[in-house]
Amino acid sequence: MGRMKNLLQKSLKQLTIFAFIVFALSIPSYFLLVDWIWLKELDENNDLIAQRIENEFNDQNISDEKLEENIKFWNEIQPVSKIEYTEKPLEEDSRYTIRRQNPYSKDEVIDRFRGLKTNIKINNQNYLLTIETNVEETEETVAYIAMVTLVFFLILVVGFWILNRRLSKKLWQPFQDTLQKLKAFQLNSQKQIDFEETNTIEFAELNATLDKLLQHNIATYRSQKEFTENASHELQTPLAILKNKLDILLQSNDLTEKQYHIAEEMNKALIRSTRINKNLLLLAKIENSQFGNSELIGFDTLVAQSMDGLEEHFNEKNINIGSSIQPDVQVKGNSSLTEVLINNLIINAIRHTSPGGAIRVALSKSGFEVRNSGGQALDTDLLFKRFSRMSADNSGSGLGLSIVQEICRLHGWQAIYSFENGEHIFSVKF
Amino acid sequence: MKILIIEDEKELAKSIVEYLSEENYLCEVASTFTEAMNKIDVFNYDCILLDITLPDGNGLKILEELTKENKEDGVIIISAKNSIDDKINGLQLGADDYLTKPFHLSELTARIYSLIRRKQFNNSNKIKQDELEIDLLAKTVAVNGEPITLTKKEFDLLIYFIGNKNRVLSKSTLAEHLSGDFADMLDNHDFVYAHVKNLKKKLSDAGCEQYIKTVYGTGYKWEG
Repeated sequence: MGRMKNLLQKSLKQLTIFAFIVFALSIPSYFLLVDWIWLKELDENNDLIAQRIENEFNDQNISDEKLEENIKFWNEIQPVSKIEYTEKPLEEDSRYTIRRQNPYSKDEVIDRFRGLKTNIKINNQNYLLTIETNVEETEETVAYIAMVTLVFFLILVVGFWILNRRLSKKLWQPFQDTLQKLKAFQLNSQKQIDFEETNTIEFAELNATLDKLLQHNIATYRSQKEFTENASHELQTPLAILKNKLDILLQSNDLTEKQYHIAEEMNKALIRSTRINKNLLLLAKIENSQFGNSELIGFDTLVAQSMDGLEEHFNEKNINIGSSIQPDVQVKGNSSLTEVLINNLIINAIRHTSPGGAIRVALSKSGFEVRNSGGQALDTDLLFKRFSRMSADNSGSGLGLSIVQEICRLHGWQAIYSFENGEHIFSVKF
Repeated sequence: MKILIIEDEKELAKSIVEYLSEENYLCEVASTFTEAMNKIDVFNYDCILLDITLPDGNGLKILEELTKENKEDGVIIISAKNSIDDKINGLQLGADDYLTKPFHLSELTARIYSLIRRKQFNNSNKIKQDELEIDLLAKTVAVNGEPITLTKKEFDLLIYFIGNKNRVLSKSTLAEHLSGDFADMLDNHDFVYAHVKNLKKKLSDAGCEQYIKTVYGTGYKWEG
């Protein structure tokens, strides 16, 4: 693909080329036409002059000797015309174009002349009259026409360009408006787009089609999310029943140790399914905008709380924990979700740090950051996706980071992953 | 001790009844809003377990009714909705506790135990078992009159054991209890072992009899 151009610019180029061809073709046409008119007019003019000369001489009523003298004199003072006595008159007039030295010019100038050879009768004697009239040069005519044409061509191109600029602003304004709205559209915000009214058929049709498409998408998306929420909800009760039955099973007096361990394994699996279910529900609720985000939260307090609560897990894995937490970091948001966000990030770090590794937690006015030691960079594209596990350890619900990202989206924060100097860095930018 | 279980899910109600009956609680079940209202009008209960999503009405209405009639019954909401709004509403309307489904019956028992003790012994809420004395309000523990220092988690664990006397408590159950809503993303339950070990040591060092027994290798039981 070449350089991107807008639609009007593309059509401008085509139009300019077309206009150029038309103008170029018009130059010879105009020339032929003008030249033809020239010659025709000059022929008429020559005819008139010949007529006049014949009449003038006859009106003199002079003797033949005197006439001969006068014709001689006339021929001298009219170098481009000639009157000659002839025995045999021409059968018909002859018209011609000739290029020769202009006798009136002192410099050496070759000019074009239109000539007429015709018979005249003076004192009833036949004479041959030659009249030549200066015609504009072919090249000069072409040059003048080309010059005028070029001027008009330039006016046309500049006009196109100016019109194009104005049109692209005015004519395409509804299109630009639609485009901006589409760019800002987010499926999970569930907000319909109100397209601007337009009286251009194409744009109105485009808007109507887009509107239909979006409505359909929003409806599908909504029902899909509602499905997730409802399904998770419905699962809570059977999970609760299972859990309670296991509790009762554990209390049986005749339970063998082997059976106990089976029950315990079942409970562990149950804990996991419960957790996945809870997290799915949480995700659905965040996406369905069921959380307010306008409380003032002491972020530093929440971080301290979370680290305090997870201390035993740091100890368990012998993780070296470091923190630099700026006091009094207040953010606007939802406190329970923020708590989930902090916990998920720290727990994620604990889970993926090998025993004896290090975790560093940092908080400042601009953001929150959790770093943990690790082997190699993770695939950023998959990281925040649901159920895309990055490690062989599948104890997590596979939803922790998706939840982090959704919570960030709700608050207008940014969740970023990077890998530097053997450390995974998850940061949240306020 | 009389307990009313307002729960429309039959199997759930049945399990709760079965588990609680062993604690010498007298359990009654109401599976609809109307049934629950009828029972509340007539009887007094030490504790009411209230599911707020009932087929014929909102459980929160029952709570409003109890408050209106100045009933002293302790109420624990058990709900499938882990909605913060519901939780806040419920507690504001006078519920004493809130438990999200699914929960362990041992968790429920411990909560009922604490609730009933809070209701019955308003100011001096002390649990005694031979040489061991626990002050629930001051959160202090003494063995033979000598105070011992427990961490928050160890104290929490001790109360959980006391509330579930003679019950088998598995490691995963205790882990869920100790982590609460929080940290339930971690599958490593070994930290429970460390806490139980510390608690056992602190109690026996102070001269307390060893009530915490290990069962089936990884489970625990408070005998007494």
